[in-house]
Amino acid sequence: MPQFVSVDHIDKIFPLSNGGTYFALKDISLEVKKGEFISLIGHSGCGKSTLLNMVAGLDLPTEGIVMLEDEKITSPGPERMVVFQNYSLLPWLTVRQNIALAVEQVLSYLPKAEQDSIIDHNINMVGLSHAADKPPGQLSGGMKQRVAIARALSIKPKLLLLDEPFGALDALTRGNLQEKLMEICEESQVTAIMVTHDVDEALLLSDRVIMLTNGPESQIGQIMDVNIPRPRHRLEVVNHPSYYSMRSEIIYFLNQQKKDKKLKARSNTVTARYGLEKVNLEIGFVPLTACAPLVVAKEKGFFTKHGLDEVKLVREPSWRGITDDLVRGYLDAAQVPAGMPLWLTLGGRDGKPVPMTTSLTMTRNGNGITLGKKFYDQGVFSLSDFKKSLLQSTDRVHTLGMVHPSSLHNLLLRYWLAAGGIHPDRDVNLTTIPPAQMVSNLKAGNIDGYCVGEPWNIRAATEGIGYTIATDLEIWLGHPGKVLGVREDWALAYPNTHLALIKALLEACEYCADNQNSEEIRQILCRPEYVDTVPEYINIGNPEQYTCSIDQPLRQYAHHQFHGTGLNRPSRTEQLWIMTQMARWGTVPFPRNWVEILERICNVSAFSTAARELGMLEIGYKRPPIQLFDGTIFNTDDPIGYLNDLEIKSDIHIADVILDSPRAKVA
Amino acid sequence: MTAVQRRPNTNSFQGAVGKQIQKILPNIVPPMVAIAIFLVIWQLFSWTPGAVLPGPIKVVEETKTLILNPFYDNGGLDKGLFWQVLASLQRVATGYILAAIVGISLGVLVGTSKVMSKALDPIFQFLRTVPPLAWVPIALAALQKNEPAALFVIFITAIWPILINTAVGVQQIPQDYRNVARVLKLSRSKFFFKILIPSALPYIFTGLRIAIGLAWLAIIAAEIVMSGIVGIGFFIWDAYTNGYVSEVILALFYIGAVGMILDKLMAKLQTLIVKEQ
Repeated sequence: MPQFVSVDHIDKIFPLSNGGTYFALKDISLEVKKGEFISLIGHSGCGKSTLLNMVAGLDLPTEGIVMLEDEKITSPGPERMVVFQNYSLLPWLTVRQNIALAVEQVLSYLPKAEQDSIIDHNINMVGLSHAADKPPGQLSGGMKQRVAIARALSIKPKLLLLDEPFGALDALTRGNLQEKLMEICEESQVTAIMVTHDVDEALLLSDRVIMLTNGPESQIGQIMDVNIPRPRHRLEVVNHPSYYSMRSEIIYFLNQQKKDKKLKARSNTVTARYGLEKVNLEIGFVPLTACAPLVVAKEKGFFTKHGLDEVKLVREPSWRGITDDLVRGYLDAAQVPAGMPLWLTLGGRDGKPVPMTTSLTMTRNGNGITLGKKFYDQGVFSLSDFKKSLLQSTDRVHTLGMVHPSSLHNLLLRYWLAAGGIHPDRDVNLTTIPPAQMVSNLKAGNIDGYCVGEPWNIRAATEGIGYTIATDLEIWLGHPGKVLGVREDWALAYPNTHLALIKALLEACEYCADNQNSEEIRQILCRPEYVDTVPEYINIGNPEQYTCSIDQPLRQYAHHQFHGTGLNRPSRTEQLWIMTQMARWGTVPFPRNWVEILERICNVSAFSTAARELGMLEIGYKRPPIQLFDGTIFNTDDPIGYLNDLEIKSDIHIADVILDSPRAKVA
Repeated sequence: MTAVQRRPNTNSFQGAVGKQIQKILPNIVPPMVAIAIFLVIWQLFSWTPGAVLPGPIKVVEETKTLILNPFYDNGGLDKGLFWQVLASLQRVATGYILAAIVGISLGVLVGTSKVMSKALDPIFQFLRTVPPLAWVPIALAALQKNEPAALFVIFITAIWPILINTAVGVQQIPQDYRNVARVLKLSRSKFFFKILIPSALPYIFTGLRIAIGLAWLAIIAAEIVMSGIVGIGFFIWDAYTNGYVSEVILALFYIGAVGMILDKLMAKLQTLIVKEQ
């Protein structure tokens, strides 16, 4: 089917009064199908109204063209009727006269009686027959907007353009009008483009949400399909399982735009000192018990000890935020899930490979799988119980939460499910939710369970809404949890800083592993700037803690391992396991050049140098081969053979992943 | 849109009238008192030794016939004050209507066309500042006769505020209304009558109201200079040259009163036509 509206590579440059120019929109391309409802969303000044005006023909693009049904738009016309932001009713005409002005002009070929009946019909449709003979000055804002909508629809436009139609209305009126608009759109099969800054409004009304980046040179940042079935109702859409994830996706995008602006304004200086190339570091973390080494290094002065005296810890709400800011260079380093360096390197983010490197494993263990209380009531205490329960309730899809496609939580959860004969993509539905939002989502019933790091499993148990069905003890004891991740070009540009960072964190890990310090660390972690919780939820150093029950202790807690022989060394074997697992579920392709990639990811020499300089000698140590709870031993020599032998897996594709040759970042 | 709940009116009719008077009194008493004080001071000044101008009592005594007989007509220039004022008003009406027609048309032209606005604005700004009296000799020289010259002076005085306000009003038509017209592809005449004129109307009326004051101002000045015509302006001049100071003062009251009434009428008309928007 041919596109109904097509916006083809348009630029818009406004001349300024001081002689300069403002580059408002850059290279916008957009296609709209007939009958589709599209929202343009973005911060003020991002050019969304400008884009709408160009579709309306009220303004013309500097470059590129806008087409409606294969006709170039060069001037405004009634087939592209606009509902203006401030109603734009003529105050000297009554409601009826305002609509009549449009109808008499546009539908002048119809007999008068027919015109009148169209006017009446449209006034009735928006429920304003009682006010038909009043001037707009006597109407409330919501009524005025209804008149504007009636005027627009009365001339049966091919395309309806709405410029923040409900922006000036109170919440209640807005809600009612949104419903009304949806009804009308569905009745008359209108194609519509709406500008809005209200996320909920966009989700409620649209089939697709177009997110624009901040100006100047605004672009389409992201396009989201809203696959909530119609007819939709304002109070019901929020119950749709993907509503909140879509909502948070848009809000994340908008926040990111705001942040970008701030970060662009920030001075980008590199402070070198004490023979280190850069001492002003911004290191990202996500609030979890596992962030203890970073927090300790900062609070107990390990960073300063190694010369890094301007370290700022940046608390990110989600792993997504960490990856975005790492890739864009706003973060120097970050504590990341063990699989994330590989995931980024293999192009997990937008398919563009970003070479990463890791030289330190900061934590192991500390994860668990939590299921909602209803499974507990059904007597689900093991993987096979869970499978049975799933088989009994095939009428609904069970959704499990995990934190990021590249995190071990995802991989272990999938492995665990698959080992029990449950296909993680077909038999259940996995969704990405930031760690700190797991408990509330479980409580709200949006998900049936999750796999996440502490303290969020303990939280569910203590709040009585869920219980831990499996921990690292019964999946993979001692699996890598969080690692230090930096971009490869960063590590090459600041080798001494990188080394100092590893040393500081290694010492912090050692400090964390000492049971005598655990009480102190718990207190520090609870602070609002870190995990922001109460000490009861933070478990460090007391392995006797039983955590996972609602009524009785069921399972022992596999507490975090921060330091110990061979614990902190980055392991190629483990990375290879992660690589095969991510390929197993189709998250990334399995690279034919996997040996090269593993070597670039795991910078063991940086770790060894750091350990040696600290006097922590680990030479000659080997970790045992990887064996998980199902007994399968992972063969490092033939990963492709291993993948082929697996019974439960997604489509695996094998490809060459071409990385740029290692190059230091140009500061 | 909420229904205002009124207290049931239990007051008797007399009570209502009393209320009405109570409402009006605060508006009427202060100006009355002020006028009385003004008259007293004026009278006191006229009693001071060496005072030339008559006091209010003397003015009323000396002009009793004129006050009591505004409608007498002895032919020629010897007419009652009503006729004098009427003659002036007729001139104002003619000149003013002409000024309104030309001023609004030119104003629309200047307001709609950027080129026109740029070309003509300096000329308008220049001519606008020329005082009415300065036009009198030119008008007399060009038109030879008193009557058309007087009309011209009124016209040229009244046209500027009308023209400039109309132009501003047209330029100030909100972009929203223009966009509505563009999207609907309204014809030129529809745009003119449905959008341009209604939208500029408040501005046009402001101009008209300023202009009526100026026109009245101008006619007095013009008539004073033009001898031998019936009109309140020349009446003053005539009285002055004959030494009837009291008559001059009386005519002054007439002029003031008429000016005020004209302004109030215009304001009334404005609120009538330019509905609350």
